[in-house]
Amino acid sequence: MTAVTGETAAAARRPSFARRNPTLVVSGGLIGVIIALVVVLPFFLPDPEAIDPVQRLLPPSVDHPMGTDRYGRDLFSRWASAGRVSIGMTLLITVCSVSLGTFIGLVAGYFARVGRVIMRVVDAWMAFPSIILAIVFGVVIGPGMTSELIAVTIIFTPYTARIIRSRVLGLATRTYVKAARVSGLGPWQTLAVHILPSTLPLAVVQCVLLSAGAMLIDGSLSFLGLGISPPTATWGNMVADGRVYLQEHPTMVLFPGLAIALFVFLLNIAGASLRTFVDPRAKLLSAQLRRRGNARRH
Amino acid sequence: MLLVVLRRLRDLVVVLAVVGTFLFFLLRSIPGDPAQVLLGLKASPEQLARLHEELGLTGPLYEQYLHWVGNVLTGDFGTSIKYQAPVLDMIAGHIAPTLTLAIASTVISFLLTVLVIGWVTVSPHSWVARGVNRVAQFGLALPEFWLALLAVYVFALVLGWFPTSGHTPLFADPVTAVPQLVLPVAVLVVGQTAFFTITMEESVLGELTQLYLRTARAKGVTERRIALRHVLPNSMLPVLTTIGLNFASLIGGVVVIESIFVIPGLGTMLLGAVYARDFPLIQGGVMFVAFLFVVVNLLVDLAYSLIDPKVRVS
Repeated sequence: MTAVTGETAAAARRPSFARRNPTLVVSGGLIGVIIALVVVLPFFLPDPEAIDPVQRLLPPSVDHPMGTDRYGRDLFSRWASAGRVSIGMTLLITVCSVSLGTFIGLVAGYFARVGRVIMRVVDAWMAFPSIILAIVFGVVIGPGMTSELIAVTIIFTPYTARIIRSRVLGLATRTYVKAARVSGLGPWQTLAVHILPSTLPLAVVQCVLLSAGAMLIDGSLSFLGLGISPPTATWGNMVADGRVYLQEHPTMVLFPGLAIALFVFLLNIAGASLRTFVDPRAKLLSAQLRRRGNARRH
Repeated sequence: MLLVVLRRLRDLVVVLAVVGTFLFFLLRSIPGDPAQVLLGLKASPEQLARLHEELGLTGPLYEQYLHWVGNVLTGDFGTSIKYQAPVLDMIAGHIAPTLTLAIASTVISFLLTVLVIGWVTVSPHSWVARGVNRVAQFGLALPEFWLALLAVYVFALVLGWFPTSGHTPLFADPVTAVPQLVLPVAVLVVGQTAFFTITMEESVLGELTQLYLRTARAKGVTERRIALRHVLPNSMLPVLTTIGLNFASLIGGVVVIESIFVIPGLGTMLLGAVYARDFPLIQGGVMFVAFLFVVVNLLVDLAYSLIDPKVRVS
């Protein structure tokens, strides 16, 4: 028998990561493919804002895979560059709200008295209908990227804050955290060194799940004309542009909306399987179920 | 029971205070003089002064705030600038279509969810059970504005089954009203059913691990009866909570749907108020929606304690 290192032996016994988490790998992979496409494609496509009055409102063809709009702009290049904007906006909103939510959750979970007050306010936040808040910000700051970013960040922050706080409440009573405090570490250092790392997996899961919601709200706001506005294309404002031509050119509405639906679907699936991967309790639950299912079949 | 009501009433006060105060200062942080914006550049100083008085814009900010709080406490939410009508009357005039959409879609979604999950619970190895989660995840991913336009294209423009838009009060003329409601309600139902289904499936899975089911099986209760009499009713409770928490996003959906189907509800009113910079109306309307959110959650809590005796005791 040839010499096998311990590591490869273990690898041989254990199914690969992809085999153990097929959904996570496939959905994550497809998300990667879509992002790569919208990043790369615009380099090879005609200018998404180039107007060509001769080629107005063409149906999909070989030259224009998604047809052209009322100014003769190529809808496929608009679709690709809109993807950049919509996905970029989604990521920006997600990172901002999850960071802010994690910070609030850490503080509210660790400093009990302040935490109770913070959570009251946070709960009140959740009563705010998200789109309406974004609309109000659109009026105050003027529609556009900044107002959308602020509004949606504010809306999404409470969800992360609540989840992180309940995790911190559990962690704060752990012996190693008490030991750190007793050995003279300040509260902020304790939070940063001993508690924050344990909340990061949760924060990552939140990122994936919230980005799905962020993409949907970004779409709705762009559609209502309160997000990023033309001539910059987003998937949402492309749907709004196509609305007038719904009867003659339904594909103008179909393709950009389909992109949102597909991307959000993949994010939802990836987020759900990532949560099962990260949260051992959920894994335990499904293991119990599997065992019970086997018992039933026998 | 009384405790539940009291706790929710306290929440109601907190929510309205936070939302109202935030909006007050947010709307007043807009650069420029709203009275000037409304009257145009040609307005005389007397006109401006009178409008300032009407809008409560005289004096320092904290005084304006206290003035506003005093008015709200006496039930005066101000007057809509655009429509020259009391804000509360405006809300009362626009609430019916919104409530129709919200209640109809929530009830239908709930019934659909119970039906689907009931099927899943009774036959856990069927194709429905295997596919339900993915289908629900997909339903959750569909943007409402897009789904609504596709529905209009297929069912109104191509097939001609339903009108493309419009709204008639349900009880005034049901024959016209119902076909008009089908598409908007259906679009709202898709997303809500998807959300409820995912919640309820999770809670069924949790319920299936309970030991009392083993006891039931041991004494010979059939699987079907276990599913329908024990697992299903017990899994419905989390869906109730979901209905409450989902209300804010439901209203978001309703705003979009109202704008697509030209329905004169609260969403249309608020969008119009925003475009017209009608600050009292924005302020009152948003506070009212927040108020609805708390009331809905109060009702959910009450229903919860009626259904689940454990909640009543604790």
